[in-house]
Amino acid sequence: MVEGLEMICFQIISNVGTARSNYIEAIHRAKERDFEGAQQCLEAGQAEFLKGHDAHFELLQKEAKGMPVVGSLILIHAEDQLMSAEGFKIIAEEMIAGYRQMEALEKRLEQLEK
Amino acid sequence: MKRVYLFCSAGMSTSMLASKMQGVAQDHGLPIEVEAFSDGKIGQIIEERHPDVILLGPQVKFRYQEIVNQYGSTGIPIAVIDQSAYGMMDGEKVLKMAVKMMKEAKKS
Repeated sequence: MVEGLEMICFQIISNVGTARSNYIEAIHRAKERDFEGAQQCLEAGQAEFLKGHDAHFELLQKEAKGMPVVGSLILIHAEDQLMSAEGFKIIAEEMIAGYRQMEALEKRLEQLEK
Repeated sequence: MKRVYLFCSAGMSTSMLASKMQGVAQDHGLPIEVEAFSDGKIGQIIEERHPDVILLGPQVKFRYQEIVNQYGSTGIPIAVIDQSAYGMMDGEKVLKMAVKMMKEAKKS
């Protein structure tokens, strides 16, 4: 089995990768006007993201305490995934808000066309 | 030789899992080839290399339904890799899942 840093990196990738997938799925749900489903996806994403974030935070703490974490490509990849997930959360929230406004307008339009 | 192909967004973490799985297959003398690719290449890989199993990394779980809709008719079993097995880099567990999927696909 994998030990140490590589293992932590994989946990980060697994958690934030799932979070990123959830955030994208949230956008897909909102596009179909399933706002409840979108909200659930956002929350599921956030729970996963926090797990990955905590694992990464531990590494940072370690380094801050004077125990340097030796860099590797897989750690950089884990951080890249973390940033991507973080960005997607903001994008998902903004897009869902946009779809909500769109739905409100659609409803008003429907009223007017009656 | 059975082909078990893994797809994720970059193909990087999945390629490490793939090499673990390949190691487990070799240790057990199983005629299985495990490789990892970026999910953008999925159509091309299916067409050119005819995988026996398609496994998706948890990062691309959101594409699962779309991929099943597009390539399900090929009869190739498609699944998302269990997130905890992925996080633990448990090559054996994921390989077992792939073998199970091939057996089930053969039955139907």
